[in-house]
Amino acid sequence: MASFFSAGLNETIKGYLGRYETKRSSILPILHAIQDENDWISPEAVQALEAEHGLSVIDVNEVLSFYTMYRKAPPKPYRLEVCGSISCWLNGADKTISDAKSYIAQAEKSGQSVPFECHKVECLGVCGYAPVALVNKDRYLNVTPELARKLIDDYSKKELPAAAKKCAADLAARAAQK
Amino acid sequence: MPVMNSAYNGRQPNDFKILTELEGVPNSRSLEVYKKHGGYSALEKILKGKMSQEEVINIVKASGLRGRGGAGFPTGMKWGFVPKGEGEKYLITNFDEGEPGTYKDRYIAELNAHMLIEGKLIAAYAIGASKSYIYLRGEFYDEIAWCEQAVKEAYAAGYLGDNVMGSGFKHHMDLYLGAGAYICGEETGLISSLEGKKGQPKLKPPFPAVKGYLGKPTIVNNVETLAVVPWIIRNGADAYKKFGTEKSAGTKLFNISGPVVRPGCYELPLGYPLKRFIYEDCGGLIGGKKLKAVIPGGASAPVLTAAEVENMTMDYEAFAAAGSMLGSGAVIVIPEDVSMVEVLENLMHFFKDESCGQCTPCREGTGWLLKMSRGILNGEGQLGDEQKIAEVAGKMMGRTICTFSDAAAGPARSIPQKFAHEFLEYYKKKSSAHGQG
Repeated sequence: MASFFSAGLNETIKGYLGRYETKRSSILPILHAIQDENDWISPEAVQALEAEHGLSVIDVNEVLSFYTMYRKAPPKPYRLEVCGSISCWLNGADKTISDAKSYIAQAEKSGQSVPFECHKVECLGVCGYAPVALVNKDRYLNVTPELARKLIDDYSKKELPAAAKKCAADLAARAAQK
Repeated sequence: MPVMNSAYNGRQPNDFKILTELEGVPNSRSLEVYKKHGGYSALEKILKGKMSQEEVINIVKASGLRGRGGAGFPTGMKWGFVPKGEGEKYLITNFDEGEPGTYKDRYIAELNAHMLIEGKLIAAYAIGASKSYIYLRGEFYDEIAWCEQAVKEAYAAGYLGDNVMGSGFKHHMDLYLGAGAYICGEETGLISSLEGKKGQPKLKPPFPAVKGYLGKPTIVNNVETLAVVPWIIRNGADAYKKFGTEKSAGTKLFNISGPVVRPGCYELPLGYPLKRFIYEDCGGLIGGKKLKAVIPGGASAPVLTAAEVENMTMDYEAFAAAGSMLGSGAVIVIPEDVSMVEVLENLMHFFKDESCGQCTPCREGTGWLLKMSRGILNGEGQLGDEQKIAEVAGKMMGRTICTFSDAAAGPARSIPQKFAHEFLEYYKKKSSAHGQG
């Protein structure tokens, strides 16, 4: 039977399984790797980790449910994550967040498809240059509402990230199966 | 304007460069630049000079270096707790920088991660660890890349491996990435995470130095703590003690945030006047606003009023005497036009979000503190609610496995106590709204 994971990802998983003192320590890095390729961690991926690599579903779900960086549902291609903790809040993060959210919502209301979702997150650790935000793995500083809109516009024009394409293809294949 | 009763009067922040020596140096992150500035000569001094583990620990003890992550525990003493002799031991760097207001450890990696690697090698030698980890928060994509690069370079140059610099000392180093949990900055939570589990803290004792990662003796040190060790070995404990106060030796990275004119990461001697730091070094508040309050050591540190800032010095003892703490050196500036009730609500949102849920007083307490402060903001509060918040917070202290609960209680006790009048205004709003209705 074909593996749930790509050949490259299987190699990466095997590498992590042998890298630490215990197999269990490999769970966090493996989940990062799966998310990097598939854009989220599906229940099928968790099952496949047990069936193909011997990591118990219970151990994997313990990690998956505890750490907030792991996405347990298929996301939109771009995530604008704005820090709302104290230093960013003091410098106007709430305004950036509510403005970006309504900017996306309004565009969608008018029938446009926006490949973006916006979340408030806790401290991102660059507090002097607040508000701080991430677009997927790219960090931006002093993110005013204007900059947030520009980021949404600019990224929306780009070719979709590979993980987003893979995520969409996987979902389409799953829908076709049903 | 600021009080100037300090030995540092007239000196500029540039006079205190230990960790920030490579600031502004082109290509500062490279191994070559680091070596040109004395990099890896401390490690060489130890290995080629065949210094004993005890000697290294004694120098660090004599330097007065204290943990820079927040707790301020003497570093050399911590190393000394590791049982002597054979057996696996581990050294872990806590690079899970996530305390709101704190962005100093990442600055070290931005300048040169080799400072950290050399410091780790020295610490590992001192405690007899042949394996170490750098535990980084998963969102630090740039910092992860800088550390990965530096570790790779260190392996290629023979500073890491089975035979470090031909000395027979064996040391391997790896990175490990967290996945968005503040609690993993607590050392036993970090160890749980590194073991591939939920990042829930463990009961102490036993302390990690005796029973840590996989039950083996483990030292967890902050990035800044380790990064300064090579300088101390190169220049001696006395040179380091020239900076700072008697009990708070050396320099420290202070990171300021909030609406200030020149935010950033500043290296200053401990004991430096807080007011001078805010107004002279950082240019004061944007728009010349008046200062209302300062959270001096990251979100967990109880708040200081503007009046308390007047004569405050930035060292472990002075902050503790004022009922707060130096913490991570994260100075958060709150201007006059910000409501302290809103500040409280924001902080409680953070703690509610980040409680690991293991202990009831913390899991339930943080939820109640958020609900109560949010209720007051929404005009649902009544006279005495601010005392109730302080009361609930008081019952969250000293009753849990780790100090997260105490950290959440810090601001929840200090804000209602020091800014009670601001809560009254919210209660009035409610009664006037009712009156109109």
